[in-house]
Amino acid sequence: MKWQGFILPAGLVLTAEACARIFGISSDSLAAPSQILKAAWMLLADGSLFVMTGQTLLSAVAGLLLGGCAGLVLAVVLGLSPTLTRLLRYPIEALRPIPSIAVLPIFLMVYGFGYRMEIAIIAFACFWPNLIIGQAAVSGIEPRLLEVSRVLGLGFVGRVTKIVLPAALPRLFLAFRLAAAISLIVSVTVEIAMNPQGLGYELMAAQNSLRPEVMFAILLYIGLLGWGLNALLLFAQQRLFGAAGTAQVPR
Amino acid sequence: MSRLQRAGWAAASIAVGIAMIGIWQFIAWHKLVSPVFLPGPDQTWAALVDGFENGMLGEQTLETVERMIYGWVLASLLGTGLGALIGSSRRARELIAPTLEFIRPLPSSAMIPVGIAFFGLTKSMVVGVVAFGSIWPMLLATIHGFSAVEPRLIEVGRVLKLSRLQMAFKIAFPNAMPDIFAAMRLGLITALILSVVGEILAFQGGLGSHILEASRAYRSPDLFAGVIVLGMIGLTSNLVLSFLEARFLRWRRP
Amino acid sequence: MDRSTSNADDALIAFRNVSLSLGGRPILENINLKVRRREFICVVGPSGCGKTTLLRLIAGLVHPDAGEVIYDGQVVGEPASDVALIFQDYSKALLPWRTASGNVSLALEASGTPKPERAQRIRALLDKVGLAHHADKYPAQLSGGMQQRLQIARCLAQGPSVLLMDEPFGALDAMTRQVLQDEVLRIAESGHTSVFFVTHDLEEAIYLGDRVVALRPNPGRVAEIFDVRLPRPRDQLSTREDPEFMRLRRVLFDFIQETES
Repeated sequence: MKWQGFILPAGLVLTAEACARIFGISSDSLAAPSQILKAAWMLLADGSLFVMTGQTLLSAVAGLLLGGCAGLVLAVVLGLSPTLTRLLRYPIEALRPIPSIAVLPIFLMVYGFGYRMEIAIIAFACFWPNLIIGQAAVSGIEPRLLEVSRVLGLGFVGRVTKIVLPAALPRLFLAFRLAAAISLIVSVTVEIAMNPQGLGYELMAAQNSLRPEVMFAILLYIGLLGWGLNALLLFAQQRLFGAAGTAQVPR
Repeated sequence: MSRLQRAGWAAASIAVGIAMIGIWQFIAWHKLVSPVFLPGPDQTWAALVDGFENGMLGEQTLETVERMIYGWVLASLLGTGLGALIGSSRRARELIAPTLEFIRPLPSSAMIPVGIAFFGLTKSMVVGVVAFGSIWPMLLATIHGFSAVEPRLIEVGRVLKLSRLQMAFKIAFPNAMPDIFAAMRLGLITALILSVVGEILAFQGGLGSHILEASRAYRSPDLFAGVIVLGMIGLTSNLVLSFLEARFLRWRRP
Repeated sequence: MDRSTSNADDALIAFRNVSLSLGGRPILENINLKVRRREFICVVGPSGCGKTTLLRLIAGLVHPDAGEVIYDGQVVGEPASDVALIFQDYSKALLPWRTASGNVSLALEASGTPKPERAQRIRALLDKVGLAHHADKYPAQLSGGMQQRLQIARCLAQGPSVLLMDEPFGALDAMTRQVLQDEVLRIAESGHTSVFFVTHDLEEAIYLGDRVVALRPNPGRVAEIFDVRLPRPRDQLSTREDPEFMRLRRVLFDFIQETES
């Protein structure tokens, strides 16, 4: 990132601070950067930030693993079987556009508040990118490779573990990266909308109790978390797969 | 694959869909899953019909769709407009783009509390938050589309002595169209999700309130009917955008 | 008509002691060159001799570090509306989202041609380059040769006094290239247009040109200028069998061999 990129955020922070100092704003919706920083420090110091991060990330990771793996398994099966792909085409097209937030009340009814409800919704949301991208990745494998596996007399399991997964791995990781971003977004959304735990809930609670400095501190922290997670996975992707893995998918 | 074969597969796929509904019905009839949680397709269908004929479902659907579309249109106009301004100037891009890249992974729902803080728990808040949350994909895609014009085309514009405005409208904007369309698709789904979240939080009617109330009262057929309507909204908006994309981006297919 | 006999004062384009470096590397050094009105001038030379840069200087896309480029009595500043530039990479130089007629229309829109007049002019121009039946196709639906014809049509829509052509046929197959060579000759003749034609194909340069300018590389300098005394109209068979054609080809070939070694 070039240095010019820092001008705007720095300018915004300074202007906000100056305005707060000069006009002495103490509003229900705005806070001075110094107050936000102080609130962030408080959250860090009393450990509550770690607790809420833990709650959010635990749900996100569990949902990602559950939904992601289910999507992946179905993706491999569909990717290897054109017949099944054709048969399941319309059911999948009918289910896919259901917005993940719509299943919230269903799981709320089944599980009540807590981890299970949140994890189930995240799993539902993470299922689709893995299925769609994964299937494209598996069906896009060089046919010659599959012929090789046939010549070698590999069984289905051997074929999947020795040929299909390694060949499709770069794009599968891409799907995983996308799903990871979605898992964080959905967990925060569920917490904001309903579930009384985690970063999203604390963000909402700070707003409800009219503490804008805490609200902005958590908001910035969520941004930082998302950005860091994305950067980390991007880095891993480039390290693992090089330039081949960084191709963009339509989102 | 011949047309006949394609039609055959389509019919088979629809048959699979119907069979899945059949299994769902079977599970419901034999109470393999508690009927409190899983209503049968027959009950869901009845709730759907009843909701539209006697209840509020039609009205609530309209409310949600209205919010989604207002917010989305607002976000699309603002996002493309601002994106065009930022994207056309290299200096503006260097100044603003990194900040936007930081905001991009931020869950758009996290903006809801901020929206409430500014606008309060009102109907305009929901539209405002929907617009605010779904503006980012449009904004970023437009900036990208405007800045990634083939250098040769910029030279063509220079040789033809196009004005700045002509350059923007005749070259940069059409060049950004594919990016903008992809982003508008993403933005529409975001707008739908945010509308529902906003309705759940603000109790401002709409499908969000409908499914939440149904869930609290354990009226699972009403809940499933609401979820199906939401799915239909998602499906329909996707189809409409695909149709528009196919029309406006015809030049991309050889 | 013998077009090479007009006097030197009639120069439409003139390079006067032009030098240019790009990114610290000298590209052109002390170029002096005149192009007469209605002259067809071809520029050849090994890669890295600055052929394309020469052409971009006339177009006003780059500006010299020293010396000046004169077009029609004026120092070249911004691109002039009656100077048309035909790029080598035709697929990148066409607007992919506009049909063939839409691409031609772009030049008319730029020059402020009133809308009612455009349709007829577009039809005439497409007809001239043999694309009358492909007016509603997008560039992606046209073959390479047709795309290059389309670019030519768009340039003709500018009503140019000069056509600047940057290896326009380099990427086309031999048959298409010959047909397009003859068409460019015909267009230049009938429109009284000067042509500044950059190519790496020596035979093409001799076949088309009134004069052939040979450049020497690193940095680019004018090495020699050859007069082509071949009768017009040129013909793909008889012109290429003319002893003068073969003599020039030999001379130019030896020259390029010598500069490249």
